[in-house]
Amino acid sequence: MPGGGHCPDCGSTELVEDSHYSQSQLVCSDCGCVVTEGVLTTTFSDEGNLREVTYSRSTGENDQVSRSQQRGLRRVRDLCRVLQLPSTFEDTAVAYYQQAYRHSGIRAARLQKKEVLVGCCVLITCRQHNWPLTMGTVCALLYADLDVFSGTYMQIVKLLGLDVPSLCLADLVKTYCSSFRLFQASPSVPPKYVEDKEKMLSRTLQLVELADETWLVTGRRPLPVITAATFLAWQSLQPSHRLTCSLARFCKLANVDLPYPASSRLQELLSVLLRMAERLAWLQVLKLDKRSVVKHIGDLLQHRHTLVRKAFRDGTAEMEAGEKELRERCQGPEQGKEEVASSSLDLPEGKRPASPTPLLPPCMLKPPKRICPPPPVSTVTGDENISDSEIEQYLRTPQEIKDFEKAQAARQAARSVSNPP
Amino acid sequence: YPSPMTPMTPITPATPASESSGIVPQLQNIVSTVNLGCKLDLKTIALRARNAEYNPKRFAAVIMRIREPRTTALIFSSGKMVCTGAKSEEQSRLAARKYARVVQKLGFPAKFLDFKIQNMVGSCDVKFPIRLEGLVLTHQQFSSYEPELFPGLIYRMIKPRIVLLIFVSGKVVLTGAKVRAE
Repeated sequence: MPGGGHCPDCGSTELVEDSHYSQSQLVCSDCGCVVTEGVLTTTFSDEGNLREVTYSRSTGENDQVSRSQQRGLRRVRDLCRVLQLPSTFEDTAVAYYQQAYRHSGIRAARLQKKEVLVGCCVLITCRQHNWPLTMGTVCALLYADLDVFSGTYMQIVKLLGLDVPSLCLADLVKTYCSSFRLFQASPSVPPKYVEDKEKMLSRTLQLVELADETWLVTGRRPLPVITAATFLAWQSLQPSHRLTCSLARFCKLANVDLPYPASSRLQELLSVLLRMAERLAWLQVLKLDKRSVVKHIGDLLQHRHTLVRKAFRDGTAEMEAGEKELRERCQGPEQGKEEVASSSLDLPEGKRPASPTPLLPPCMLKPPKRICPPPPVSTVTGDENISDSEIEQYLRTPQEIKDFEKAQAARQAARSVSNPP
Repeated sequence: YPSPMTPMTPITPATPASESSGIVPQLQNIVSTVNLGCKLDLKTIALRARNAEYNPKRFAAVIMRIREPRTTALIFSSGKMVCTGAKSEEQSRLAARKYARVVQKLGFPAKFLDFKIQNMVGSCDVKFPIRLEGLVLTHQQFSSYEPELFPGLIYRMIKPRIVLLIFVSGKVVLTGAKVRAE
């Protein structure tokens, strides 16, 4: 071999380059002695020209499914199985996850977000098939924060350009009510509390429809309304034994979590029922309150369409009149226009079966905290002269600066004393 | 001649000018940016200004406030500044100029370049309750209503490019405008 090398053992110049398991070696072809050996491993600098393109920028990423995506797809299938969804749902949810993964923003996202994405894909699939899965349930199963879920959900719907139908309330009622452990006696459920499932479902559904019609559902989380409706339905089916049971206790023995707004929804629903009761001839004389009205829920629901029409009227005109009246009151002495009809802002004192109350969402029935006067028309042009004195009020005096620096130094010193390096 | 009918496709619902509601939204917030044109030493600004907050571990900018017009500014070391809180475009410009003057008096050669209104937020009240679940059905391509997440309906208008937050009470928040006309 040219180059003037000879074997240290036999002195031969017949040296051959050979590679033994990709390790280059210079071997004497006469005696077999290994003259030099190449390095088995290459250094970072040696590989310089092999690193022209990073993996994430190469097409290698598109050819294989990354481990992270594989994990995510497994999680999607797991979640579908835990929720006992039909098998077709699994395929759709997996397809959405894969679609999402094609976007670089998702590929580079944190693991927390990828985990939540699993839930989003399953939820979107369920919504598109009208399967009533709530975001609360998904978050509970994934141990995820609703805020994180919310952000990822909104992002993925926009990113994939999806049309996600709204949660179907009727289906949710059926699923949610069925989860209440009240249909069989047990150590925690006394016999008087056991209820027939169909009766309870039907009545709950009617109460939820009533709540929807009277503006208690729009803009609110759906589940607490259904919890309140289920409770009222259950109570009203055997009021003599069940009026003493509170909402909290009811949820506990039914083995269902009590959502925080449910008590507020309950009060609103009872108010609606009371208003309706005022329009039912044989109930007017009874002077019902929020407890006693429960006994008559059956009757009220039977005639609910007529009663709602009679008990409430179009709130818009009434509201405008009320607001005008309040503004006039604020502006100065009474104008002499005393409205006889109660304005929506006049809270009913006691229980007068007064003129029908306006049919408005509760947020519009509360009196406004304060009337915001329209701001005075600004005459600022943006080009006004700025006086020096006005600016100087924002600058520290030299003395203030010195004091501030002293205080900062003292604080630093105190910190280094309490945290010795 | 028969008057040409504007095709009522669900993709671009157009409101003819004659149907204008007469409701004028009230401006609540204006966000603007301006380039002071010089590098700034945020530590010095925080030391020598009374109305400045600087917490580099939390956020890499000085937070400065003035009383009139009542606004807040974020001043970055690159010399760029964001001004928020004004109730009109003119007030935003005046406020931004005052912040620039403060920075000038602190010893920096601040200029006032490329002032631009980035976002305008307004609100109004249509005075009647709105069935959001109905609106999301009829305007599905533009609406997002998820009561489990947020009580309002998010309406993304295309022309002009404005986002509206519509609530059951009839109150509406409008955001994303760059000019008053939008």
